[in-house]
Amino acid sequence: MLQVGFRKILKWCIAIIFLTILAIMYRTYNPTGNIYFPKCPFRELTGLKCPGCGSQRAVHYLLNFDIYNATKENAILVLSIPYILTGLVFDLLKRPSERILKWRKRLFGQKAIIVILTIIIAFWILRNITYCQQSVAAIRVSVVIQAFCPA
Amino acid sequence: MKKYFYTDGTNNFGPFTFEELQQKNITRETKVWFQELGEWKPAGTVPELTDIFKLVPPPITKPNSNFNNMENLNNQKPPKTWLVESILVTLFCCLPFGIAGIVNASKVESRFYAGDIDGANRSSEEAKKWTTVSFWIGLAVGVIYLIVVIAGAASGF
Repeated sequence: MLQVGFRKILKWCIAIIFLTILAIMYRTYNPTGNIYFPKCPFRELTGLKCPGCGSQRAVHYLLNFDIYNATKENAILVLSIPYILTGLVFDLLKRPSERILKWRKRLFGQKAIIVILTIIIAFWILRNITYCQQSVAAIRVSVVIQAFCPA
Repeated sequence: MKKYFYTDGTNNFGPFTFEELQQKNITRETKVWFQELGEWKPAGTVPELTDIFKLVPPPITKPNSNFNNMENLNNQKPPKTWLVESILVTLFCCLPFGIAGIVNASKVESRFYAGDIDGANRSSEEAKKWTTVSFWIGLAVGVIYLIVVIAGAASGF
């Protein structure tokens, strides 16, 4: 029993140290053009943005309190922060009251999950359309992009 | 000698002696009659027949399962859906695994509120698996990438 508790504390300590190092790194260095930050494999392969593209840059701007640029890099990440924090709090509550459960069902229930999935996929498609409209010449044009906005 | 009768609702059986009645596998609910009783009564309510049931446990009252469960479900917390973690995974590393996690989160919810607790728990495990797998893959890819870049930079100098 005591050992399980100890292991749990150790796990949390490692996680917190790891996150702090990451936060300092992402705050100090801008991932744009920096070879030490990993690139999105989906974008490398297809030239298209995935829903998560720009997350690293968005985190960099967020840690520097630049919400405008963070939103420009990945709007869905910035918008989801309050939702994710609420979800984490709801998950941590051991014995939620009936009112909280009702809200949990509304915000994180099956219908909500379907809405989230739709938003993510819609965001995925839309950001590639506006992206190719803005800078068709600048990117490797894939078949998908050509289908959406020729020339 | 007292003679007892019992009925299954349509047919009457008897007369029996007390000893014979004991062999008939009657239950507490079986209606019995004898002359002093006046009318048919459940055997369990007749004091002089209690000896028959001494070794028979009373019936288990089954809760009306469906209704009660639905009543309770709305006051209960469903198993962990891993939704938040799945969204984070989708945004930060492995898109396909994140989507799989979100789909399983949706299954946890729908199964739980349909009363399928076991199914909900299974989906919760499944969602946990996807999240854990993608977390470690993301971490490994990041570390390998960093090693490759540093090695490349070092050999370049």
